[in-house]
This record gives sequence, C-alpha cells and structure tokens, in this order.
Amino acid sequence: MGQIVQSPGGSRAPATVAAVDSTPQQYLTFTLGGEMFAVAILNVKEIIEFGTVTEIPMMPGFIRGVINLRGAVVPVIDLSCRFGGKSTEVARRTCIVIVELEQGDQKHDIGVMVDAVSEVLEIARSEIEPPPSFGAKIRTDFISGMGKVNGKFVIILDVARVLSVEEIAMLTQASDSANVEAA
Amino acid sequence: MDELTSVFIQEGREQLQAMESGLLELEQQPDNHDNINGIFRAAHTIKGASGVIECHFIEAFMHKVENVLDRLRNGEIHVTGDLTGLLLRSCDHLSHLMDVLEAAAAEPPEDVRHAGDALQLELAAYTAEAAGASAGSMIEAEADVEASGGGVVNTDSWHISVRFGPHMLRGGMDPLSFLRYLASLGEILALETIPDAMPGAAEMDPESCYLGFEIRLQTRSSKADIERVFDFCRDDCELRILAPNSKLAEYVKLIRELPEDDMRLGEMLVRCGALTQSELEEGLFSQQQGKLPGDGDPLAPQLGEILVDHKVVHKEVVEAAVSKQAQVNEKKAVEARLIRVQADKLDQLIDLVGELVIAGASANLLAQRSKQSELVESTSILSRLVENIRDSALQLRMVQIGETFTRFNRVVRDVAKELGKEIDLVITGAETELDKSVVEKIGDPLMHLVRNSMDHGIEPADVRESRGKPRRGTVELNAYHDSGSIVIEVVDDGGGLPRDKILQKAIDKGLVQPTQVLSDQEIINLIWEPGFSTAEQVTNLSGRGVGMDVVRRNIQGLRGSCEVASVEGAGSTFTIRLPLTLAIIDGFLVGVGRSSYVIPLDMVIECIELKENSADRDFLNLRGEVLPFVRLREMFEVEGEHPARENIVVVQYAGQKAGIVVDQLLGEFQTVIKPLSSIFRHLRGIGGSTILGTGEVALILDVQTLVQRNVRKEERDMAANNAVARSTTQN
Repeated sequence: MGQIVQSPGGSRAPATVAAVDSTPQQYLTFTLGGEMFAVAILNVKEIIEFGTVTEIPMMPGFIRGVINLRGAVVPVIDLSCRFGGKSTEVARRTCIVIVELEQGDQKHDIGVMVDAVSEVLEIARSEIEPPPSFGAKIRTDFISGMGKVNGKFVIILDVARVLSVEEIAMLTQASDSANVEAA
Repeated sequence: MDELTSVFIQEGREQLQAMESGLLELEQQPDNHDNINGIFRAAHTIKGASGVIECHFIEAFMHKVENVLDRLRNGEIHVTGDLTGLLLRSCDHLSHLMDVLEAAAAEPPEDVRHAGDALQLELAAYTAEAAGASAGSMIEAEADVEASGGGVVNTDSWHISVRFGPHMLRGGMDPLSFLRYLASLGEILALETIPDAMPGAAEMDPESCYLGFEIRLQTRSSKADIERVFDFCRDDCELRILAPNSKLAEYVKLIRELPEDDMRLGEMLVRCGALTQSELEEGLFSQQQGKLPGDGDPLAPQLGEILVDHKVVHKEVVEAAVSKQAQVNEKKAVEARLIRVQADKLDQLIDLVGELVIAGASANLLAQRSKQSELVESTSILSRLVENIRDSALQLRMVQIGETFTRFNRVVRDVAKELGKEIDLVITGAETELDKSVVEKIGDPLMHLVRNSMDHGIEPADVRESRGKPRRGTVELNAYHDSGSIVIEVVDDGGGLPRDKILQKAIDKGLVQPTQVLSDQEIINLIWEPGFSTAEQVTNLSGRGVGMDVVRRNIQGLRGSCEVASVEGAGSTFTIRLPLTLAIIDGFLVGVGRSSYVIPLDMVIECIELKENSADRDFLNLRGEVLPFVRLREMFEVEGEHPARENIVVVQYAGQKAGIVVDQLLGEFQTVIKPLSSIFRHLRGIGGSTILGTGEVALILDVQTLVQRNVRKEERDMAANNAVARSTTQN
C-alpha cells in the first residue's frame, strides 16, 4: 500500500525538480475558505481589490465574470468554485490575483478571486512534499506540492492546470449545451 | 535584407500579380495588344529591377520569360493554352524565387532550381524555332537604310558607347550593375574601358565617376530595349548606340562626337572589334577628304545619311521617350494617391483611437454628472470629433475585396483544368470594402468553398449537357453590404447538395441516429459537422472531410457566420456574413438587471414598449407582422423583479426580424470591441465585450446566434414534449 501511495508522488517529484532549480522559490500565499494556498510568484502579475465584475450569462458558476483591467478585459475565476466548493462571498479583504499564463504560444491573463492575500514566502525545495494522493479535497493534478510553513502545510497550486484555458473552455461549452438541452 | 531589396520584393510581387492577371485575360482575349504589352512591361520591370539589385537568378530567369513575351508581342508566336499555362507556371516559379530572395538566401534550393531549369527548357522551345526568322526580319528592316548609301561595317552586333557622368556614384548608381544588366540582354562580345577622363591622382575625386565604356553586344533586343537599360542614368550619361550593320560613317560620326581623341577612340573601336583597322582608316580618310575641300558637295551624301540616321533614331527615340514619359506620369499619379504605411502602425492607431473613445465616454459621463452645461457642451463637441476621427481611422484600414477575389481567377482556371471541367468565374461587388484584418483571414475559407463548389458542385461537362444545362459551369463570387455586415456568396450552378447521400453518410458516421427526423435544411447543415465528407473518392482538392468545419470555425472566429442553401440539380449557395470591422462599431446600449449589453446599431430597427402580453407566447403583432422575441432576462437567467416597463428592441439580421426584450434603453454608444478571452470561445450569443464610460465591462450581443440559440432551445423543448406526449398515448 505504502508503495502504491508513494509511486505517483515519487514520479511527480523529479518533474518539478526539473522545472525549478534547487534554490528556494518565492510563493504568494492566500486564504480561501479558511485554508492556505500558494502560487509561484513568477506567475503573479498583480493583485487588485475586488471591484465591479461583469457577469457573463450562460457560464458555469466558477467563472465569476470579466473585469476591466486598464483597458483589457480579463476573466475572473472563482477558485473555491473551481475546486468544487461554494462560490466565494465578497468580503472586505476579497482580492483578485491576476495570473499570467503562457499556453500554446499565447499569453493569457486570468484573474483569480481569493478571500485574502497573506504574504510572499520563500519555501526551500526540501520543504516541499509531494501532494497526497487523496484527502486534499481538490483534484491532485491541481497541486504541485505541499509546502511546510511554520509546521503547517500550504497547498502549492499548479496554476497551469488549475487555470488551463483548454479545460475551462471545454467546461464552458459543456455547461452551455447542457443549459440548452436541459431547458 | 536591405531596403532596396525589400522594395524590389514588394513591387516585384505587385508586378507579378499584374502579369498573372494579364495572362489570365490573355486566355480570354488572345488578340488584345495592350494587354500583351502590359504583361511584357511587367516582366521587363521585374527583370530590370532584379538587375539593379543584382539578384541574378531572377534576372536570368526573367530574361528567358521576356524573350518569349517579346516574340508574342511581335506576333511571331501565337497565344495557346500551353503557352499561357507555361507562362503562368513561370509566374509561380518567379514567386518562389522571390521567396528565396526574401529569405535572404544566395541561391535557390535544389528543387526550385530544378523546376526553374525545366521551365527554362520549355521556354527556350518557344524562342529557338524563331531565331532564323527574326534574323531575316532584322535584315529586311535594315535593307532600306542600306539603300541610302554609305559603306556598311560588317558586324552583326550592336555597338554601344557610354560615358557615365561624374555624379553617377554619388547618385547611388553603380556603373557595373548597368553593365551586368546589359549582359542579360544578350552576350557582350567585347568591352573596352575608357579611362581617359580620369584626372591625376591628386585631383581625382573618389566619389566621382570618370569612366566610359565601348561595348559590343550581340542581342535580339531592340534599340529601345538597350536604351532602357540605361533608363536610370539617362540624364547623367552620354549614350550612343549603333545598330548592327551600321554604316561606316556612323561610326566615324561617333568617333568625332565623343570627347576623346579621334585616333585613340578609333583604336579602341578596332580593339573591341567593332571596326577593322582598314575600315577605320578608310573612314577617317574619307572624312578628311570630304572636309578639306570645304564646299557643300561631298557633304551632301553625309547630310542625307544623317537624315536617314535621324529618321531611324527618331522613331525609336520618340517612342521610347513617349512610353517613358507615360510610365513616369502613371507612376507619379499613383504615388501621389498612395502612401505605403506599415499595417502595425495602423493597428496601433486604431487601438489608440479605441482608448480615446473609451476615455471620451468617461469624460462625457462625468460632465453630465457635474451638471455644468458648458462642460457638457464642450465634451459633446469633443466626442463628436472623436467619432469623426474614429470613422476616418477605421476607413484607413478598409480595403476592397476585389484583390482577394481576383486571385480566384487563377485558382478556378487551374482547378478546372485539373478536374477536366469547364468552369467560368463571375465576380460581382469587387469594390465592396471591408476591414483589412478581415480580408486577410477570409482568403483560406473562401478558397475551401470555391474549391468545394468546383470539385463537388459543378458536374462534368457531359453530365451537364445531359441534364440540359450549358456545358460550361459557373461559379460566382458576390460581395455586398447588408445591415452592418458584409456578405460574401459563393454560388455554383452545379448539382446541388445531395440530401440522401448526406443523410446516409451522417448516419454511417454516427452523426445522427437513423430514426431521427430531420428537415431538409438540417440535413444540409450536416456538412458543417467535423469529420464529414461526401466525396466517394478523396481527391487532392477537397474531400478530406476537414474542409467545411474548418471553414465554419474560421468564420466564426471572425465573429461571422456561414450558411448554405441548395436546390438539388440547380446548384448551391454558400453565404458568409462578416462584421465590417473587428475594432469599433456603433452600438445601442441596453440594460438588463444590473448589467448592460450592446446591440450593434446597424441591426436595430426600432424600439417599442412591451405591453401587457399573454406571458407564455413569445411573439407580438408589429403593425400586422408577427414578431417573435427573445426575453434576455429569461435567457440569461437574471434574478430579481421585472421592472414596471420592459422594452423590445426590434433587430433585423439576414432578412429576418426579431425582438429582444430588455429592461432599459440606454441609447447609442460608440463601442470599442475588446475580444473576450479564449476561455469564452465556445460562448454563443455574446460577440465580445466593451468598456463603458464608467469603466465597467459591457457585453456585445451576437444577435444572430442568440436568436438561433433560442430557436434550437424551443425545438428541443417541443421534441421533448412530443416524446412525452407520445409515450403517454402509447401507455
């Protein structure tokens, strides 16, 4: 059993090592539904206050809408919803983290709605554990690793997977046609 | 790549296009002389320019092409299908060569070179047979000159004396490239450099040109052609050209007129083989003799000669001068009307104008809120100006679709030959304008459609005849404007889409269930499904089954739509609708719940109040017409109370009218289209987004897909209800 659990983790770890060198990397941490998450800082473009979001009709719930980011229209994803939870309530500290992704030669800016942004942390590679094969309550391929910070685990997200433009586009299509058929 | 080369490539491609369209026309009207001259001129210009930039592989190839065209122009050979085919293939090859040049390669790659060699052989076949005949005509032409007296120098080559002016090098011209180009006309038998004008090293200005050349050239080109070699430096050099078999006296005259010492020049001529020593002596001697007595008698024949000489020179020179003048004028006129601008700069301008429009809208809003009438007035003037700037900026990017269409002349010709069918292309509405960014992307989808029509649509000539149709099939390309969009139609008078076959195929491929009942239009629409192809045989033109869905995807990517209508046995019509521009439109702003939406203003006909209506019927009586409508509130699942007054915006699209029920009408709005992230690419009913004066994002409604969506939804509802009804009756 131990082997089965270990083998997917063991195979994942070298891949991440190849992607980043052994020097400690910086991560932006934020809270979402009381839990602590982190994303690699290189993906983060900026953090803005939660303002007016224009809803897009006929879209699945995790797509909160679009915002005007200095003239560019940027989609905003409700991360909690994306992980299968409830939609995020807007509170005083709600923020949108603008993440820049490069997928298929194109750069995409995507906003991620979070409850509160905490701090920028340095986590050494040795402090990062492979993700558990179950129990995190979110899809394991969304997790790139578990960082140990002050004796607690922080879920480090694989943003390329979480915000995969391809996958989201597929989901929106599915939800759209389901709408038509169901109605 | 230096600037000269890039200019050459750009202009060369234009000439190439002119040549190609000329050749296509030539097939229709083989006797149109202006056209043949036009083709020749285009080929010649390319050759000349390639000589100047020293691109020898193009120059050498064009030389061969030009030879054939020259014979065509002189009526020595006649227009045949093979010949135009060969010339068109030469055009293609030339286009490849330009690609090579553009890639900054020194030599074309192996396969291109082989293709070129093969073409040159074919071209040579058209020139070789004529060599004898043309020599004959040349002698004939000379014959009457000969008759006017004077000894004839026995050479069969041209003699060219050129003294380049001192400003040549400073003007950016290299004498060497002229000589190289000259060599492309024929063979330089001998060449002597005349460095006599060269001063001592101390006085010499290294930027001045002091050189002259005596050249003996064997060529079949005319005097005008040789003169044209030196077109670029005509004003700055002394040029004398003596025809083959010129009279001795002309050589003597040449010797006398040129600044160099007579004897020395004579020697030069002897050395370069234009004259023999005895001829020279005889000439100079006779001249001196004639001069010594001083009376008019011996001069008489000379004068006569000069006259003849003049006559000969006159005609050619005047012709050349006139044609040159016309060319210069033509070029000047075109240059005065056109400025070349990089497309990026234009795009940048449009982007800025877009930002200006948004900023203007926000200033307007603030002014209105401030309730200062003067401020409101000044911002309204400002926004009117911004609107004008927007329109002119967008106009800059508008191009006529004709250029895209005319490319298809060639495609239709080639494909028809390949398929062994007889097909004409009819183009209408070539002057219809649309945004350049749209034009660039429409070429490929159109190509698919046209090829499809030719391959699958038009029947072979025999089949057509047996069906009582004219042997020649017709493919039409039409373009016209219709309520804020451009419509492009590809029409063929072929067999139409075979419904049974399509249905059978769709069932085989599992696209539809055998029990499904489909309307005719639904069956036809199956061709847009991915992986659908009806051709029993895969040809290399179409029939790979990727065509139609790719076409549809490309067009939808441009915010457009495509439809097909077909009458079996009579042909089919593919209709593409595209927005005129992808940048800024006039919009009509409406509010639903807390959100705002924009409807393209060109589609809006009127707005009316939605009166108390029986709630479950979604149509109303619009002055006797039935007007179906869509409730945005329901469609977008907007929560909250319906407002006291709801409005209907009546829109028209593709000849259909529909109503859209909204809460508020907010008026006209200049809409800068901001594309939505590709996350939303499957979203139907929303065409894009824009930014309001308040900084909020508003969505642009795609009226057509919105209505279609509703239609589909209702159809499914009905089907479901029917199924339920059926099952209950059965029970």
